[in-house]
Amino acid sequence: MRPFTHINARTVKQAVTALAQQNGAARLNAGGTDLFGLLKDEYLPAYPDMIVNIKTIAGLNYIKEDKNFLRIGALTRLADISKSSLLRQRYAVLADAAHSVATPQIRNVATLGGNLCQDVRCCYYRYPRHIGGPIQCARKGSGACLAVTGDNRNHAILGGKRCFAVCPSDTAVALTLYDARLLVVGPGGERQIAVGDFYTPLKNGLRSDEMVREIQIPRLPEVPQQTFLKFTLRKPIDFAVVSVAALVSQATGICTEARIALGAVAPGIVRADAAEKFLRGRPLTAETAAQAAELALADARPLSRNAYKINIATALVTRALLGQKECEIPPDEVKAYNPTELSTFHRCSSSTPPGYATVVESGTATP
Amino acid sequence: MATAPAEKRPPAKHVSLVVNGRAVELEIGSQPHQISPSHTLAHTLRETLGLTGTKVTCDNGACGTCTVLMDGAAILSCMTLTVECHGRSIISIEGLADGKTGKLDPLQQSFIDHTAFQCGFCTPGMIMSAKSLLLENPSPVEDEVKEALSGNFCRCISHYQVLRAVMAVAGKEA
Ligand SMILES: Cc1cc2nc3c(=O)[nH]c(=O)nc-3n(C[C@H](O)[C@H](O)[C@H](O)COP(=O)(O)OP(=O)(O)OC[C@H]3O[C@@H](n4cnc5c(N)ncnc54)[C@H](O)[C@@H]3O)c2cc1C
Ligand code: SF4
Ligand code: FES
Ligand code: FES
Repeated sequence: MRPFTHINARTVKQAVTALAQQNGAARLNAGGTDLFGLLKDEYLPAYPDMIVNIKTIAGLNYIKEDKNFLRIGALTRLADISKSSLLRQRYAVLADAAHSVATPQIRNVATLGGNLCQDVRCCYYRYPRHIGGPIQCARKGSGACLAVTGDNRNHAILGGKRCFAVCPSDTAVALTLYDARLLVVGPGGERQIAVGDFYTPLKNGLRSDEMVREIQIPRLPEVPQQTFLKFTLRKPIDFAVVSVAALVSQATGICTEARIALGAVAPGIVRADAAEKFLRGRPLTAETAAQAAELALADARPLSRNAYKINIATALVTRALLGQKECEIPPDEVKAYNPTELSTFHRCSSSTPPGYATVVESGTATP
Repeated sequence: MATAPAEKRPPAKHVSLVVNGRAVELEIGSQPHQISPSHTLAHTLRETLGLTGTKVTCDNGACGTCTVLMDGAAILSCMTLTVECHGRSIISIEGLADGKTGKLDPLQQSFIDHTAFQCGFCTPGMIMSAKSLLLENPSPVEDEVKEALSGNFCRCISHYQVLRAVMAVAGKEA
């Protein structure tokens, strides 16, 4: 990596002061698992002058519940989130989503704050300098979006505008399901941003001198049925092709609450408002779940090569609502939308670690 | 012309860590003998400390060949800055064998006994991931071993033998 100045921040104030002084030329380093991709591939036009280590800030690694909120410190590691018994018991979707991220080695250092603030994975955007990049595009402020006319298999089917890169964070799906918000600190003080509003087509909602300090989830009054499903091409390491989280509460056979969040289909995490409204007051059956799934994808406008995501998302929403952990999708069904685009193996993961549920895999090759 | 007297330079900053049980003190700076703040732990292990057992393949967090233990947990040395390892204890593949007798770690011996590699490039990372699992859970079931090794890629498809080698150390034959 090219040289940079490195400082260890001891307090949140020190970190945001350094960011403000550097005026956009400094970057925070939490676990570094996303940041070093940027520093090594130099895919952005400017290379940071300064790296601010925030792991040296004490007291930002916690999971605690008070009267109103479940609070998670921004430096809490994904490994701790996926193993937390409090989360496993009451906020299982977040534990499952954290567990589905990357690999054990990465989860041992990656933080929740870093997972939420990670950069997009668009193949044009990330194209490395050492093999001919960086490539300019709308997200970098010059030119058009290359994915629209190019390879857009992994891009948005909903809500894209100028940039069609999807939010890559799995934990953001869980947090949007729970109506969570971020506590953000800047030189001028604190503010809150709902995770559901945090991602917009060209960037996330942070200013260059702000840092996420805490993630706040409004306390769930009871423990609803909740499911996280993530479809990937390989089981470990891969980012989601589509991920879905759903939560359902029922009384006397009728849904009193229904929430659906979709990841990797849009620049942000999508809450399926119409589908949720449809389910409230109705019984949850295979039929209503399927109807809700259709509604959740009703506004989808795929690009040239990613219509297959609608099919996968519809299947995952139906299953997540019904509490089914399986996310295998027969290649035939996917092919109906996407004859040649998926690579050789379809595998998917229910992200639950061994001992909690079985992991389903299918190794059926497509021609 | 004389170079500036040493006192005029800012005092060299150090990073102190323990590598394979031995205390190591590295100076931070831009001189050839110093550690640059942008050096990864993988770079320092291989190029500064001569511990070339740790391999670098993707240098981007995606393959696991550079896995080492930091305070007992498996981490990727290619995605870790050396300057951020102050006060940490690192164990690389060279640190597993008994320093006095040279006797291999049971995992290393089991990899040999089960021919759990072909080219061997992924092997140090595989062993370090397996070591971190066994430190936490000495008697894992097969799914737990698969899970712990899910971040280690092998181009030669030695996974089946690797699984057997690790299960044998766990006292279970796969
Ligand atoms: C091989 C591989 C596979 C991956 N697979 C997945 C996956 O399946 N799902 C998934 O969700 N992610 C995946 N990722 C991304 C990875 O999860 C994230 O990189 C990780 O969670 C980021 O956390 P971190 O602490 O390492 O962030 P860092 O790399 O330290 O930071 C990421 C970015 O966020 C900023 N930042 C960090 N902390 C804060 C904060 N508190 N406030 C404001 N800004 C902050 C940094 O400046 C940086 O720009 C993968 C990454 C790799 C390398
Ligand atoms: S999707 Fe966004 S990041 Fe990718 S090429 Fe288009 S504008 Fe750039
Ligand atoms: S070299 Fe570090 S993960 Fe590949
Ligand atoms: S033995 Fe060759 S890569 Fe694993």
